[in-house]
Amino acid sequence: MSFAQVLSVVVFVGAYILIATERVHRVAAALGGAALMLGLGLTDGETAFHSVEAGIDWNVVFLLLGMMIIVGVIKQTGLFEYLAIAAAKRARGKPYAMMVMLVVITAVASAALDNVTTVLLIAPVTFLVCDRLGLNPIPFLIAEVMASNIGGTATLIGDPPNIIIASRSGLTFNDFLIHLAPFVVVLMIVFVVVCRWLFRDAFHYDEKRVAEVMALSEREAIKNRTLLVQSLIVLALVLVGFTLHSVLHVEPSVVALLGAGLLVLVSKVTTEEAIADVEWETLVFFMGLFVMVGALVETGVIGQVSKALADAVGGQPLVAVMALLGVSAVLSAIVDNIPYVATMAPIVGDLVAAEGGTPQAESLWWSLALGADLGGNATAVGASANVVVLGLAARNGTPISFWQFTRYGIVVAALSILLAAPYLWLRYFVLA
Amino acid sequence: MRARDLAEDYQLVRLGDPALSAARLIADQHRPAVVVVDDDGMPVTVLPGSQVLRFSVPGYVQDDPSLARVYDERGGAEVCVDNLARRTVKEVLPPKEKRHDMPAVSGNATVLEIAATMARLHTPLVVVVDGDTFHGVVTASHLLAVILHTTPEPPA
Repeated sequence: MSFAQVLSVVVFVGAYILIATERVHRVAAALGGAALMLGLGLTDGETAFHSVEAGIDWNVVFLLLGMMIIVGVIKQTGLFEYLAIAAAKRARGKPYAMMVMLVVITAVASAALDNVTTVLLIAPVTFLVCDRLGLNPIPFLIAEVMASNIGGTATLIGDPPNIIIASRSGLTFNDFLIHLAPFVVVLMIVFVVVCRWLFRDAFHYDEKRVAEVMALSEREAIKNRTLLVQSLIVLALVLVGFTLHSVLHVEPSVVALLGAGLLVLVSKVTTEEAIADVEWETLVFFMGLFVMVGALVETGVIGQVSKALADAVGGQPLVAVMALLGVSAVLSAIVDNIPYVATMAPIVGDLVAAEGGTPQAESLWWSLALGADLGGNATAVGASANVVVLGLAARNGTPISFWQFTRYGIVVAALSILLAAPYLWLRYFVLA
Repeated sequence: MRARDLAEDYQLVRLGDPALSAARLIADQHRPAVVVVDDDGMPVTVLPGSQVLRFSVPGYVQDDPSLARVYDERGGAEVCVDNLARRTVKEVLPPKEKRHDMPAVSGNATVLEIAATMARLHTPLVVVVDGDTFHGVVTASHLLAVILHTTPEPPA
C-alpha cells in the first residue's frame, strides 16, 4: 500500500469510528474527514465537486432535498392523522386489527416518502388512539417503526441507502419496484402475522372504551383540503416521473426537484415553510461522506479492496451475494447504514463489473439493499427511524429501552434476512 | 405606596398537592397563576396557568397540533383532566434548570420596582417577601389599578 493509501484509510477509519461511536456529531466527523482528505491532497476540489465516480453524488443530495421539501408540505395537510384515525375506527378499536392497519399505512407511506417523516407523523396519532383505548403504545410504536424500515426497502426513494445504490449502480425506480417491492410485500405479510405472536400480550382491551375512539373526528385532521389535493397530485406526478425514467430519461433528482418546485409554486406554502423540514445536516453529512469515499477511490484503496474481494469470491456469485447480505445486515444493525452503503457502493459496483454484469452479479446490489435496509430493524440504534421513535416515546412518558426494542428487533431482522436469502437464491440463481 | 401595602392574600398550593387542585384554584378564582409554597409555607415559585395547561395537553398533541382538532369537546376535556389527575404540583413545574427566578420583591419595593420586576420576568404576579416573612402577592391587575388611579388621565 502506498503512503497516500494508508493515510486515506486512517482518515476514513478515524471518521467512521467517530460516526459510529457518536463521540462527535456525525456531520462534524464526515466534514472533518472530508476536509482532511482535501487538505492532505488525497483528493482535490475538481474531483470532490465534479467527478461522477469519486465526487459528491449530487443526484443523491438533490433527490433527498426535493423529497424533503415535498414531504414537508404533505406533512402540513393532516393526511396521516386522517388515515390513522380512520384505520383505528375501521378496526373498531380491536388492537390487532388496528396494529395491522397502522403498520400497513406506515409501510406504504415509507415506500413513497421517507421512514423518519413517516414515523414522526404516525407516532403521535398512535399515542392518541392507544390513550383512548387504554392500551400500551410501545408494541404499536415498535411494530410501526419496523414496518417503516421494511416498507422503505421497496422503492428507490424509500430509504437513503437505496438512493445511494440507485445512483451508483444506475438502477432505476422501476428496477427497485420489480426486484425489491414483491419481496417486501411478502415480508410485510409475514411481519403482520408475526406481530400477532410477537406482541400477543398487547391485544387485551376494554370494549367499553371503543366509543372513545369512535368519537374521534378524523375529518377535522385535514386542515387544508386544497393543499392536500395539490400535494397528492404533485406526489403522484413525481412517482409517475420516476417510473417513466426509461422513457423521459430524466434523473430522479431532477424529477424530485421539479415536483418540489411545482408544489411550492401552486400551493400557498411560503418558501420558509417549504424548506423548514429539510434536514440540512443530513445533506451535508452525505456530502462529507462522498468526499471521503471519493478519496478512497482516488487513492486506489477501493479498487484494491474490490480486487481482493473479487479474487476471494470470483466465480462464486452466490457466496458473494449471501456474504454481502449477512455482513450488511449485521453491520447495519450496529452502525448507521448510510456511511456503510456509501462505502460499499463503489466496491459492489466493481464486483458487479468484474462478474460481467450478469443478473447473478447484479443481485449483489439487491443483496446490499436488503441487508442494509432490513438489518436496521435489529437494534434500537440500527436505523434513524428507530432512534426517532425512542425519543418520541420517552417524551410522551412511555420510554422504550434499548433492549426492549432490540429483543423484538433481532427476531424481525433475523426473520427478514432468513427470508431474503432464499428469495435472492431462487430469483437470481435458480429461476434466472 | 410600598409592596407590603399592596400585598394581598392569594391562592397557595403545596408541592405535593394534586395538580388538579392548582388548576381548580386558577379556574374558580379566575387567577392567572397560583403561588407554590414549601412545607414551611414559604413561597418556592409561581405556577402560571399556561404551565398547568402545558401538562394538561398530551405530549402527542403538542407534537402534532392537528390532532387537537379530532377530539370532541368532552373527549378533549377528559384528556386534559386525566393528564392533570395523575400529577402533583411538583410534577407540573418546569425542571429546576429551566425554571425562572421566583418573581419576588421585598416589602419595601416601590410601585415602579414591582412593575419593573413583573416586566422583566414576564409574570402576572409577584410575591412579596422579607426574609422569613411572606406578606402576600401583588397582581398585575392590582398594580395597574394603583398606577392608573394615582395619575390623572391625560387629555385625549
